[in-house]
Amino acid sequence: MKILIPLKQVPDSTVRVKVGPDGKSIVTEGITWSISPYDEYAIEMALERKDADASTVVAVVTVGPARSRDALRQALAMGCDEASLVTADATTPLGVARALAKVVEETKPDLVLCGKQASDDDQGFVGPALAELLGWPHVATITKVVPVEGGVELWREVEGGHEVWKAALPALATVHKSEKEPRYPSLPGIMKAKKKDIPERAIGALGVDASGPSWTILSMEPPAARGGGKILKDGDSKQIAEQLATALRDEAKVL
Amino acid sequence: MNPFVGATERELAGAVADWAKGLAGRIPAAEKEGALPRDVIADLGRLGVLGMTIPEAAGGLGASGVGFALVLEELSAAWPSLAVGVAVNSGIVAGSIVRHATVEQRQRWLPKLMDGSGLGAFALTEPTSGSDAASLRTAARREGGGWRIDGQKQFITNARYAPFAIVLARVGELDPKRTAAGITAFVVPLDAPGVSVGRPERKLGLRASDTSAIVMDGATIGADAVLGEVGKGFAIAMSGLDGGRIGIAAQSVGIARRALELARAYAKERRQFGRPIADFEGLRFSIAKAESDLAASRLLALRAAWLRDRGRPFTREAAMAKLYASEMAQRATHAAVQILGGNGYMRDYAVERYARDGRATTIYEGTSEIQRIVIARSLLAA
Repeated sequence: MKILIPLKQVPDSTVRVKVGPDGKSIVTEGITWSISPYDEYAIEMALERKDADASTVVAVVTVGPARSRDALRQALAMGCDEASLVTADATTPLGVARALAKVVEETKPDLVLCGKQASDDDQGFVGPALAELLGWPHVATITKVVPVEGGVELWREVEGGHEVWKAALPALATVHKSEKEPRYPSLPGIMKAKKKDIPERAIGALGVDASGPSWTILSMEPPAARGGGKILKDGDSKQIAEQLATALRDEAKVL
Repeated sequence: MNPFVGATERELAGAVADWAKGLAGRIPAAEKEGALPRDVIADLGRLGVLGMTIPEAAGGLGASGVGFALVLEELSAAWPSLAVGVAVNSGIVAGSIVRHATVEQRQRWLPKLMDGSGLGAFALTEPTSGSDAASLRTAARREGGGWRIDGQKQFITNARYAPFAIVLARVGELDPKRTAAGITAFVVPLDAPGVSVGRPERKLGLRASDTSAIVMDGATIGADAVLGEVGKGFAIAMSGLDGGRIGIAAQSVGIARRALELARAYAKERRQFGRPIADFEGLRFSIAKAESDLAASRLLALRAAWLRDRGRPFTREAAMAKLYASEMAQRATHAAVQILGGNGYMRDYAVERYARDGRATTIYEGTSEIQRIVIARSLLAA
């Protein structure tokens, strides 16, 4: 089975995001970039298939700026077999999906696993849009993939249990979580990844329409600073409990 | 950014640092129990850390000494007790096998140092021979087509986890004028008949690292257990220790670095007299001095590793790095405890552990006094 994971490079979750001087973007200078966490789960899910069946081929692709190459390298170091980069500095979400559809047509994976959303803009757009463009079945927010006769079983967590879907291949799923935490790259994996070629093409060379409905960020601002906490200390414990209940009901409005 | 360090080496160390972030929750229980979790050792095998010094042809990573020093710094910053186990396994033990073993011995023993099933041990010290290592008394004699070893080794790191130990034993009588003569290195499987491990030592620091005696009472091993040549073991031990000293220097750097990072973070948060204590000059100067010494120590360690990677003599440089960095680690960890004040003395804050763990660095792999002898000898020879 060949599994393709379209991934996105995003600011690392440990980065303290700052709004830039234009008020419409974040400061990207000097920040650490990583694979978006849900994409990491998708990679782990695919690599678990590869652990179970060594004939599985796991490929990654990204549509993004040139720096995204590092995220692809990281995926190779984790154990992915192939990576390719489509460079695009600014494009619409639909443009990204179209470019990915082109890559899918060329590379013919049996299964495409997307993170359910990227952790930077949280749109959750590209996975379903890609399935739509390909005309493939799509199951959202899966937690497990099991190969079965005639396709794959795709598991989703739902309130109080699981749903199990079956899809004929090729199919696309968006990933909520893998069974295990994403693996760390091994040191031999890092060395091997350095030797692998990552082919690069500009989005223009794919011959796809990169336009599409778009949006514009009007302004960005950090969340308002939190007010100071309140310490209740007057009275005995019963009185303090009453004051606390009142404050939670009337001020915090959580009761 | 450091000279001597390439992009790959930086990347390998970064990967280990990322992995090691996940260890924090394991440390308090393991330190209390006095044992490294076996699954963490297994993970180090899977990650390829344990095999990083072993050549690619033998199934390892074949990374440089500089890369290994940086990885040891990261492991020590995260968890000194774990780092010392790795330093011994992948430093002196793996290095001695790689450099001195026959093809058959390599094929038999190197996989056990890499697969995460245990950590190898190096057994030189005895109850009556520490710095005067060449006066060791453990005796080996030929018996029944193999060897019989009798004697006791003391303070052996990893003894409890080791698939085998490299044991230094004397073949023939002790010649008081040439004490090193006859000393031979043997690969002794810990499950060989007549081999037992003593109770774990109770230590000031590095409590999760195993330090135990290895007792050989008529230990029986095969004829193929000799590492290198009979009578040439002391040179194997000494060249192994040269490399090991770079490892201890790197450990010292890691321990001091993390203690100072914790102290800096605390100094910015902790307020006294209406402002963060980081505003007070006395404390600022303490941090500035400690960080400068830390940077110097790292450069000394990397220089020694860099020379070694190029096949150049590095005995003096390794001794200088070990001496300077281990002494630095004492000052730095104590400065960190002082910055945290009363909290620094409490177990709830990790700096007291770094201060205890760092204490061993001026002692093992040759005390500071021995390093001075080594350095002076090389400077004043002929």
